[in-house]
Amino acid sequence: MKITILYGTETGNAEMLAEDIQSEIEADHEIAISNLEDFAPGEFDAECFYLLVCSTYGDGDLPASAQPFADAMEAEKPDLGAIHFAIFGLGDSEYDETFNHGPKKLAELMIAHGAHQVGERVAHDASGSDMAEDLAFPWAEAVIAEVSEKLGEAA
Amino acid sequence: MSGKIAIVGAGPSGCYLAQALLKKAPDLQVDLVDQLPVPYGLVRYGVAADHQGTKGVARQFARVFERQGARFFGNVAIGRDVTLDQLRAAYDVVVLAAGLSADRKLGVPGDDLPGVYGAGRLTRALFEHPEAEDLPDLGAHPVIVGNGNVAIDLLRLLAKAPDELDGSDLGEGPSRWLAESGIETITITGRSPAARAKFDAVMVKELAKLSDVRIEVVGAGDSDDATEMKTLEALSAIHGHGAGAKRITFRFGLTPKAVEGEGRAQAVRFASETGEEVIPCTSVLTAIGFEAAPGLPRDVLISEATDTEAGRLAPGLFAAGWFRRGPRGTIPENRADAKALASVILDGLSADPSRVGCEVFDGLDNIVDYAGWCRIDAAETEAAPEGRCRTKLATRETMLGVAGARETTK
Repeated sequence: MKITILYGTETGNAEMLAEDIQSEIEADHEIAISNLEDFAPGEFDAECFYLLVCSTYGDGDLPASAQPFADAMEAEKPDLGAIHFAIFGLGDSEYDETFNHGPKKLAELMIAHGAHQVGERVAHDASGSDMAEDLAFPWAEAVIAEVSEKLGEAA
Repeated sequence: MSGKIAIVGAGPSGCYLAQALLKKAPDLQVDLVDQLPVPYGLVRYGVAADHQGTKGVARQFARVFERQGARFFGNVAIGRDVTLDQLRAAYDVVVLAAGLSADRKLGVPGDDLPGVYGAGRLTRALFEHPEAEDLPDLGAHPVIVGNGNVAIDLLRLLAKAPDELDGSDLGEGPSRWLAESGIETITITGRSPAARAKFDAVMVKELAKLSDVRIEVVGAGDSDDATEMKTLEALSAIHGHGAGAKRITFRFGLTPKAVEGEGRAQAVRFASETGEEVIPCTSVLTAIGFEAAPGLPRDVLISEATDTEAGRLAPGLFAAGWFRRGPRGTIPENRADAKALASVILDGLSADPSRVGCEVFDGLDNIVDYAGWCRIDAAETEAAPEGRCRTKLATRETMLGVAGARETTK
């Protein structure tokens, strides 16, 4: 399957996790990876499944590298009706009021433009005891399986 | 691209720089030198013990050593064990990322009275830096001078009930010190109006989780600027919070004029909009910024710099992070800075194979390498008691003992 991993990062933690997911699944799929700040909404390709990895920063805001993408989406209003994506969030429950608001905003932005979310938004908690990859690898496997079934492809 | 680069200071700026350099040019030899036997600088000793999520960036830094091939030379002080000139002769490029660890003083009469303590001095003691001074008695009524995130960190830690430190890495001694502090009131003062206070709104909102406090925000005023409104909203959200034992009062628009007291700080005299105000206290905690510690001649280097904005101090010599910019900016800003500096360095890099690189450290005793740090890290993690995620080794001697002999890195 053609998969593009897009990450929005502020401290680099989401970038590291995105690269880890890439290493984990690249043997079985055709993988591209991009920072959201280097990705234009016009590049979305219906043949491709999108794995989004995004953190939260400040007071529940999108991380810095997702901001230009969000601005471009608002400006260009692309029709993402043929696009499927799944999203994994990084957050810190120390700030519980805004926990994982960044990925939530990113998912809402995708859906507002017609994109279809696959699976639930999964969130890692930096103040918890799990490693992000221990949640993210099974998540990636599950959403890839789900989209394969949905699109009628062989897993 | 080949070349030998030494980064002085293995804190977040140095580690992000090594990460960015090796991402762009994986064949570089990048050596991180730190005067402490342990890496990660302010991630270990500045980010508060109860902000473990923020410390998570250390996992990225570990990768820099484990996968990207950077090397760690801990317990090596540039300027003492090796001179800066010797280091510059040994490496194609030297980057100073040693941070700013000395507390800026108030600069008013009485600022050297007993009972006046800098935030750096206190946080080093709280977070068990091997060179920390003892934790002092703050009395029942400390006043915090300063309105940045460091001031809020101090306030929060002093105000926390013991069980609110669960999951942190605050040591046994500092935990006991906090529990027995006897603090009844904390007044936190800023020079600017509330709207222009430097702390992040999210740091203020976090105070609404404290269980044993009563918070009052005095004279916050208003604003129609979006950023300023965020700060004011956060302050408004915590105003009136709680019915606990410790009374916290936020004050603004107060410029310190003198610390007063008989042989010890007993009050701070402020200039205010309406004249003067004297706030009685038992200690004064200053959190008004940091400056360079003795060791590297930062002022001279910066004043003679070719292009400070780009981080260029002299041919083959660069500055990064707080050492370059001053004590402003959080972890992500230092990351962005490091990425930009990596490009500047690589653009001008011409490797000279005759440079000896880390051989300049030959003959030094007790260098701690990355494997040595991993032994310290494992020992600290294993020794964590109930309710803590780590027990830091608090002296250089115990660190060196656990780190053990360095494996040859050549």
